[in-house]
Amino acid sequence: MNAVTVDRLTKSFDLSSSRLRVCAVQELSFEIGEGRIFGLLGPNGSGKSTTIKAILGLLTPDRGSCSIFGMPSQMPSSRSKVGYLPEGPFFYKYLSGIELLVYLGQLGGLKRSQAKSRGLELLERVGLEDAIDRRIGGYSKGMLQRVGLAQALINDPRLLILDEPTAGVDPVGAADITRLIQEFKDEGRTILLCSHLLSQVEKVCDEVAVLSKGRMMVSGNIEDLLLKNESSCRVRGMDAESIDVLKKDIERLGGSLEIEKSRKTLDELFMELVDPEGGKADE
Amino acid sequence: MSCLWSLWIRKGEKRMNKVSFGGEWSVRRAYLVGRNTFLEAVRLKLFYALMLMSLFALGSSFLLKEFNFGSSELKFIADFGFGGLTFFGSVMAVVLTAQLFFGELEHRTAITLLAKPMRRSEFIVGKFLGVGLGLFCFVAAILSSLVLALWVRETSLAALYPESFGDGFGIRYFDLLGFGILQVIRLAMLSSLVMLFASYATSSLFSIVMGMMVWLIGQLQYLASSSIGQIESAFVGGLLKVLSLMIPNFHLFDLGDRIALGEVIVAADFLWIAAYGSLYSLFYISLAALSFRYREL
Repeated sequence: MNAVTVDRLTKSFDLSSSRLRVCAVQELSFEIGEGRIFGLLGPNGSGKSTTIKAILGLLTPDRGSCSIFGMPSQMPSSRSKVGYLPEGPFFYKYLSGIELLVYLGQLGGLKRSQAKSRGLELLERVGLEDAIDRRIGGYSKGMLQRVGLAQALINDPRLLILDEPTAGVDPVGAADITRLIQEFKDEGRTILLCSHLLSQVEKVCDEVAVLSKGRMMVSGNIEDLLLKNESSCRVRGMDAESIDVLKKDIERLGGSLEIEKSRKTLDELFMELVDPEGGKADE
Repeated sequence: MSCLWSLWIRKGEKRMNKVSFGGEWSVRRAYLVGRNTFLEAVRLKLFYALMLMSLFALGSSFLLKEFNFGSSELKFIADFGFGGLTFFGSVMAVVLTAQLFFGELEHRTAITLLAKPMRRSEFIVGKFLGVGLGLFCFVAAILSSLVLALWVRETSLAALYPESFGDGFGIRYFDLLGFGILQVIRLAMLSSLVMLFASYATSSLFSIVMGMMVWLIGQLQYLASSSIGQIESAFVGGLLKVLSLMIPNFHLFDLGDRIALGEVIVAADFLWIAAYGSLYSLFYISLAALSFRYREL
């Protein structure tokens, strides 16, 4: 069974300043298999957050549907196996880290004692063991992201939806979060990851979808998408003097010829898709 | 102070954990949201500012008792207490409800909560319960102070003028308790109305302005209702009657004057007014839950 199914999702909003409607997402379809890490990419305003909100049942689609583990997203029980880290998380300033986790854990169905022991374990796991009893109002941006990750995990979800988990986090913290995401995958969780940190997406995701102006530009296995349609040639075992005669008789000289598909980076693919003119100008 | 609140609500939580929650609508989740909303309410400076202002109004009655324009001193003190309770309580009901509801939307904490397997109606009911508990604490604090002030003054006056208190004390303290319960219901009713506006409004200011307007209209509604009978057109009269039913009659809850004058309020009156306020609150909260269900976050 797919963890997430988005089927021809279309959603538009009224512009408050006029009678116009802006189409945030148009005929979007994709599926996320269980245990996979799926990267949802796109520039600002491309419809990523709308898609996530529709998956979580926070928005009603104009057309199409979303489901989580086969249950329609509009049903509250479909979210019983979901952990969500919102973009730029903001939590109750007056609660401590552990109080927040206990509160949200209880809302997800845990007993107080269970929520507390799991909360303590998670805060330690995300590196907040020294800030367990500190008020969230005193947390830095990076700490907020970490406590956000912990709260997303408090009910032991099978599906994690992470919206910009590394926004505002320093490089060391971002590397830590990337490691955690990999660990979550190893635990068998399905992850839907929205991130502008493309190197992170490239490192951890199995599949990606790139959105632009509410439409799907491309989606699929990340390795397939990054392979170029051209081949490159690499010669090994040659010294500098032999390079001149290389072109004429490689095999006679005993060198080896390797042919491999060259690979572009996710940044290159992203720019090609969402800003093709900019890509050409750079060339 | 916060620790005391926390201890108090922790006891309630233990009781809630023992309840078996069948079906999808969870009383426990509504309770948890209510508990957190209450904690947020009692951490707001506004809560204490309005409470202090109300106490100040009560305290000022002692300073201004020389200007009582012929009414008895005890009634003068009671009027100030009831006035402060009603006015500042209503302001608190309107502002607290709007602030605590929109705080969750503006800071997007509502999204974190509603991404859990939680129904939107549970969220609305939880917010209402939390605000209601805050209002209950406000009324309890002000009413206790009023009772204390009246008792101290009545005791001292009885010692000074025993002939005037020959039949015992004039204030019916038990009725004050009933009055307090009715004020909590009245403020909860106002809060449920503001919750209805907030469930679809895009700004807290709109909800506050609408809440204040409805409070004023509801306070004066009885005047309009009494003149509806004089309208000749049956259609216009009927329409106005329906419109007047949409906004509750807040004046019904103004029993302070009658209590201060020593009038006996029969239990049936108390019960009828309590049922009236509770039904209106239930109606508005149901509408708010329905409206919030379709709101896009």
